[in-house]
Amino acid sequence: MRQLSELLEDFGRMLLFAAEAAAWAVRPPFRMHLVLAQMAFIGVGSAFIVGVTGTFAGMVFALQMNYAMKQFAAQGYVGGSVAFSLARELAPVFTALMVTGRAGSAIATELGTMRVTEQIDAMESMAVNPIQYLVVPRILASLLMFPVLTMVFNALGYAGGFVMGVYVARIPIGPYIEHTKEFLAVDDILHGLLKAVIFGLIVSVITTWRGYAASGGARGVGEGTTRGVVTSSIAILLADYVITFIAVGT
Amino acid sequence: MIEVVDLWKAFGDNHVLRGITLTIPKGTTYVVLGGSGSGKTVLMKHVIGLLKPDRGSVHVGGLEISTLEGKALTDARQMFGMVFQGAALFDSMTVHDNVAFPLTEKRWRDRLPADEVRARVIEKLRVVDLGEEILGKFPSELSGGMRKRVALARAIVSDPQVVLYDEPTTGLDPITTDYVDEMIVSAKRALGVTSMVISHDIASAFKVADRLAVLYDGHLAAEGTPDEVRASKHPYVQHFLSLWFQKQ
Repeated sequence: MRQLSELLEDFGRMLLFAAEAAAWAVRPPFRMHLVLAQMAFIGVGSAFIVGVTGTFAGMVFALQMNYAMKQFAAQGYVGGSVAFSLARELAPVFTALMVTGRAGSAIATELGTMRVTEQIDAMESMAVNPIQYLVVPRILASLLMFPVLTMVFNALGYAGGFVMGVYVARIPIGPYIEHTKEFLAVDDILHGLLKAVIFGLIVSVITTWRGYAASGGARGVGEGTTRGVVTSSIAILLADYVITFIAVGT
Repeated sequence: MIEVVDLWKAFGDNHVLRGITLTIPKGTTYVVLGGSGSGKTVLMKHVIGLLKPDRGSVHVGGLEISTLEGKALTDARQMFGMVFQGAALFDSMTVHDNVAFPLTEKRWRDRLPADEVRARVIEKLRVVDLGEEILGKFPSELSGGMRKRVALARAIVSDPQVVLYDEPTTGLDPITTDYVDEMIVSAKRALGVTSMVISHDIASAFKVADRLAVLYDGHLAAEGTPDEVRASKHPYVQHFLSLWFQKQ
């Protein structure tokens, strides 16, 4: 019971922290250089791992779909299935999980270390709000870069699937592309991008909070990072289910 | 300049401060002595508004710091410079960027041109006896003593009215400790700032203090000039000070 009450209290404090970040985001000074630096770290820095994951996910999914569709002599639908699944589900979820592992853990560790070595207190003592200086740029950069990375995943995933489908499984290129156009609508891509924005918000708020609230030296930083990554991953999967349920129903 | 009135603070069941009252006149160096865990840092964090009291108030320069929030508190902090126990320099920034931080993060209309910021950084580094050859170094490339000095340069770069020192000599060798003591005294002389030092280093405390207080069990066990505190009859104060004075 006590653990539940502590969990709820921590969740409430995180929501207040997110609200404070939102309030500071619209107040000057606007430090664009910090947002750009975080976009480079979260976005450009994660592009390789997201690209590799996307390529292999697309390749494997195309082979699996080819295996399944072969039973019904419907291999022409492989391209469409791959594109549809990537756009609505695989790209936003896999991207968010990969970025959580790479950038989210680094964010929680960096802020946690700054907290336990009093660098955050020092910043505050110099009349600089640490939420505005440290947290807001990371949240804004995540909101902007998660959709971009999701598109990278989409593009490379589709390319990987295309290579497997057309050159390995020998599916004729015409039906492969035609069924992709038939299956995939702009709404499907937008659905995935909306998820990406929401996941970006979830990951950045949770990991910055876990770092910001860290205490107790190196051990506390380690615990904060682990909790940040685990909580973000679960929250991504939960949010994915809720968004999908709301969007497509049963 | 600084007035703490009936300050109470508890963390859960741990009652750290139990009705602290003290006054620090303008331009003086006030040292709060006490053992580890006696609440010295908690007291200092109340003075700069990093913690809110459960009861009581803190007034600095006519402002009631303990009731300020948001922008008003941020603005009030322009009065302060603070030297943290572990220096608390930003790992990811060079010495120049660390010292310049309070200047470069001011509001646009108050900001100085880059060359003026650099000149001010070099000037303050000189006050703490450091040269411009370290401007491009990162904190990890400096010794503990140098980090403390850079931290003091950062604390005084925007000419604050009040400088707070959190355990400035902890973990330093005797020569560097002596150097840091001199630095605190000379910073007060050169800049005329009001200083609050919290420490458990009795030798340093008696060297730099105009006034002293000994914090014990959430109360001030003794308070006054160094001579008055040394003559205190409080058992804890006598025991605490005797550990050092017997060595002399």
